[in-house]
Amino acid sequence: MSFWSYLKDKFLLLLLQAVCMCIMGVFLCLTGYPVADFWLILIAWFVILSAWLITNWLERRRYFQKMDRILEGLDQRYLLGELMPKSWHLEDKLYQGMIRKSNKAVIERIHQIEEEESDYKEYIEGWVHEIKAPITSISLICENRRKQGDSEYGTVGLENQKIENYVDMALYYARSEEVYKDYMIQETSLEAVVYEVLSKNRQFLIEHQIQAEVDCQDKVYTDGKWISFLLNQMILNSVKYKSEHPLLKIYTRKTEKSVLLILEDNGICIRKEELSRIFDKGFTGSNGRAHERATGMGLYICKKLSSKLGVDLRAESTWGKGTKMMIEFPISTYLSKM
Amino acid sequence: MNIVVIEDEPIIRNELKILLENALYEVTLIETFDHAADCVLQTRADLILLDLNLPGISGLDICTQIREKSEIPIIFLTSRTSSMDELTGMLKGGDDYITKPYQAPLLLARIAAVLKRTNPSASNEVSILKVKEVELNLARGCICHKDKKAELTKNELKILHYLFLHAGEIVSRLDLVEYLWDNQVFIDDNTLSVNVTRIRGKLKSIGIEDFIETKRGMGYRI
Repeated sequence: MSFWSYLKDKFLLLLLQAVCMCIMGVFLCLTGYPVADFWLILIAWFVILSAWLITNWLERRRYFQKMDRILEGLDQRYLLGELMPKSWHLEDKLYQGMIRKSNKAVIERIHQIEEEESDYKEYIEGWVHEIKAPITSISLICENRRKQGDSEYGTVGLENQKIENYVDMALYYARSEEVYKDYMIQETSLEAVVYEVLSKNRQFLIEHQIQAEVDCQDKVYTDGKWISFLLNQMILNSVKYKSEHPLLKIYTRKTEKSVLLILEDNGICIRKEELSRIFDKGFTGSNGRAHERATGMGLYICKKLSSKLGVDLRAESTWGKGTKMMIEFPISTYLSKM
Repeated sequence: MNIVVIEDEPIIRNELKILLENALYEVTLIETFDHAADCVLQTRADLILLDLNLPGISGLDICTQIREKSEIPIIFLTSRTSSMDELTGMLKGGDDYITKPYQAPLLLARIAAVLKRTNPSASNEVSILKVKEVELNLARGCICHKDKKAELTKNELKILHYLFLHAGEIVSRLDLVEYLWDNQVFIDDNTLSVNVTRIRGKLKSIGIEDFIETKRGMGYRI
């Protein structure tokens, strides 16, 4: 609030003062007072008016600066109504009352939405757990019949596994906001995680003639369950965009500050201009559109989860060679010192 | 090996029975859960598969009751997947925790691992297999015939191991590839052919011919 804009705001008051000064001048002239007296009164008037304007400006400025600071310091800005500095001005009080009312309405609405959202999330989580029982039944039935030589059941089993994967995506997406609630960090052998994911998708991968080389000696501190979800999505992507003789190389690299889990495929590449956007929500890209139905959600969920888990998810792609997906686990220097 | 299955879904229960029996385990099903712990203690169980959500009683309680009297290994089966559940299960004395929907090979692998861990004496695997004068030495990773010997790579060893275990039977290529995937060799059909050709070359070098028959459209047989 500059002084100039303050004066502009007080324009009517200043005009009134000026008019009053003129009227007084005319009145003094007509009643025969000496001109010197007129100037004296005018100067005194002017000084008093200026002093009042300056103090009032300073006071107002302090008030609004204080409010500004409070607003800056708030992480939920809609709570301003509860924290506004006290003021004896009638206008301020009226405004504060209204802001408070309006904020209260906002807060109530936010609470309502939060409640609805958490209800919905709870329902989704419950639903996912319910649906896992029939998926398990189907998977067991198919596996048993397939072993007896009925290949139709193998196909049903594969489709069932797709359902399972979509259900998993829904579950992990619903949980992605509150990873901390379900995160148990322990020393995890990446090799075991990789083997589990490969063996889980065994039938699907064999059917797609996939070969895999695994070399994951390093251990990291993380929760295997979440990493196996990330890896699962990445492997399914690699298969979706595979080339003629698909080969997956899964290996770890240890650097000074981190352990990298790398999934390298020799499938079709991601265009350079699309590489930065593959983790965006709903992005399917030219590959996605050309192939099976891509929802553009898989990698988005992966990226979201990885940032919550404190690992870094990256992609590299060289034209004609394939794509590398990397999960980087930072090594805490604090832990290694202990 | 006797495995007790405590699971309330009848379909899952029966399919588990088929699956485990195919894997050469004996299976006891428990269908009423009020006195599940006592029933288990009466059977001679080597391992228990225990569902956590049972009607009327929690699997965790059954686990506690069993643990008061016995150290039988327990694997939890559940559709709940939060870390807290897992931790509670472990603290109550569970040996492993498998979440639904589980894949059959994974389940069998976990069962085998728990049995091996809790019962190491029972699993003295044979390290030398013999078929028609040909000896496969699993520990050394080589194949011997009379006094000649050939070294094998990991892939070749696994392929031969499976064929030796099913000597006389026709082993389908798919079964063989699936077995390999279960044993951390992730190869496809073509690479299997390449490996088999290489094995034949090695067998020839130690004087064995026509050891592995190819049954066109069906698989291999030794």
